[in-house]
Amino acid sequence: MNCRVDLLAHLEAYVAAVDEASFTRAADRLGIAQPLLSRRIKTLEAHFGGLLFDRSRRQVTTTELGVLLLPYAQDVLDRAQRLRHVARSARESAVCAVGVPADCGPAALARVIRAGAERGTTIGVRELPPDERVSGLADGSLEYALVRVSPEHAALRVPLGLASAPPAHAPEGASRDPAGTRRRRPRPVHLEDLRPRRGRGTTREQRVPVPILTLAEDQVPSAQDRLGRAAARAGLPEGLVRPAGPMATALAETLAGRVTLLCAEPFARRHGAGWAPLGDGSLHRGCDVDAARRQQGGADVPGWLVTLLAAAAGAAATRPATAPPGAMGGEAPSRLAARG
Amino acid sequence: MSAHPAYRPAYVGDGGLLDVAEAIAADWAALGVRGSFLARSIDTGEQLGFDVDEPVPLASVVKVPLALVALDRIATGNLDAARQVTVDPATSSVGPTGLAAFRHPATVAVGDLLLLMLSVSDNAAAEALLDLVEVEEVDARLRAWGCPGLRVRHRLNRMYECAAGAVGDDFSPALELAIHDDRSGRHTIETLDPAHANIGTATSLVDLLQRVWRDEIAHPDATAELRRLMETQVFTHRLASDLRADTLRVSGKTGTFLHLRHEIGVVESESGDRVAVAALTRSDRRAGLAPDIDLAIGIGARQAFEALRRRGGGQSVTPGHGSRRPWS
Repeated sequence: MNCRVDLLAHLEAYVAAVDEASFTRAADRLGIAQPLLSRRIKTLEAHFGGLLFDRSRRQVTTTELGVLLLPYAQDVLDRAQRLRHVARSARESAVCAVGVPADCGPAALARVIRAGAERGTTIGVRELPPDERVSGLADGSLEYALVRVSPEHAALRVPLGLASAPPAHAPEGASRDPAGTRRRRPRPVHLEDLRPRRGRGTTREQRVPVPILTLAEDQVPSAQDRLGRAAARAGLPEGLVRPAGPMATALAETLAGRVTLLCAEPFARRHGAGWAPLGDGSLHRGCDVDAARRQQGGADVPGWLVTLLAAAAGAAATRPATAPPGAMGGEAPSRLAARG
Repeated sequence: MSAHPAYRPAYVGDGGLLDVAEAIAADWAALGVRGSFLARSIDTGEQLGFDVDEPVPLASVVKVPLALVALDRIATGNLDAARQVTVDPATSSVGPTGLAAFRHPATVAVGDLLLLMLSVSDNAAAEALLDLVEVEEVDARLRAWGCPGLRVRHRLNRMYECAAGAVGDDFSPALELAIHDDRSGRHTIETLDPAHANIGTATSLVDLLQRVWRDEIAHPDATAELRRLMETQVFTHRLASDLRADTLRVSGKTGTFLHLRHEIGVVESESGDRVAVAALTRSDRRAGLAPDIDLAIGIGARQAFEALRRRGGGQSVTPGHGSRRPWS
């Protein structure tokens, strides 16, 4: 018997045959054919250099060697069994790391963790910026992650809008929605509406464009580039869109009405800010839930995890209308010529 | 907010005029605009501005010297203003206005080509005129007249050809390329490279306007007609944007190409003040339309006009002084 032979399977055949005092019943118990069982025992006898069973009588009996080796064989099998147990419980207690955006709601993330526990998976949520979620999947430090993709190709779409100071004074009682009354959907904001206002009745503040701050989550180069270009085309000065910096400061300035903050609706509501979605869906967030590279091809991301992560990220059920950029471009050749 | 925080303009002007120049430069910088500005009283020569000797690709501003050379040929009997020219849009220049936007061939007199070129910045009219007055001739005449700092090296359609050649027929990438090249200093679009483009400095353009308004260049009939034609310009969104009043007259010529937004012109008041202005800008704005930048140019022109007019003093007692046409 060379070392590639499965010693455990052979010992199993031997121990079962002793227990059952019959090759037929032993084969039944192990769920293998009897000739295979006989062959394994013969191989084992060749390996040990002596017979384990006396086959000369009608009833197969165990030889002296067979009796001598039995407790040792049993011990090997028991240890192998324990090894498998330890491996399984180690696997079960391992934390399954899931990379999520930093602006997810704690309650929604708690639902992800609880749902994992119900399915025997210990989930650890990791708040990470978009690029580190991608690299975490690649180096295996994350099992699953929400990764940013363009909204046109995304499985999940998170509507982005502008958080602003809450309405100055909602009448008493009106702020508390009676049960069953849904909050009126805020009207979309269009970037060109943010241009400074002129004319009578404009306040001093309205004559100056209000900066738009972006969270780390939205400082993905492609998304940032797209937003910058859209802002410029809408007639907003360059530099009006800029990174938010420390979160508390950015939120304080937003609530004070000094700036607006680009974010998803749940985030704005959690912090007591007003919120209205951007009309241009191509500026919203697009996300996919991806698995670590070693999992690809094999098991996909479980459906329950996708659903709960989508809810935590604030993904919308419906896809917003996206106009192709430059739809208003007009006739291209004359735009490239000297004009005026 | 400016992409060039280390940038410090070189100012001209003294005393209060310097303050005005600094205020205009600060307003522009806040919008991400760089460029040259020069305003000069045509009669006193007092002036204010910044970065006035920087060569800048002219875009459609080049139509002013082109018109002057063509008008001088007409005035000296070397070109017939009534001569009929047929312009076929199929083979003519690209452009959004005038004959360049026509769909069918049109026959127009030379004198009216000049009107179209200066009133609506018609690229096809400019190309048709350059068939009659060669690029080299325009450049040579300017040198003969003593206009250093002004160079005419290519036809109008070359701007479109170079931009489309660099990126294909698409506005946004061409604009971004122009902005990028400005930062790196290496020009992919040849007509934006001061070494190859039609160029001018704020000084050279204000000199030209001053001499045109004072009949100190070319034939007087040519300068008179150029003043008349420049007053017909329909675009008032830029230099004239904060100078629109029945008591003021702005005769100008815009120039717009990718990230360039220029205008040169003369502001005249009923009271007789005359100020020549050149505003040559480039910006990092990734947009075709930037009304705030256009308005900033207009606000600068008004500030400069009012500051120079205060310095001039006393001319208001002789209404119509210096203006060649009674106010109607």
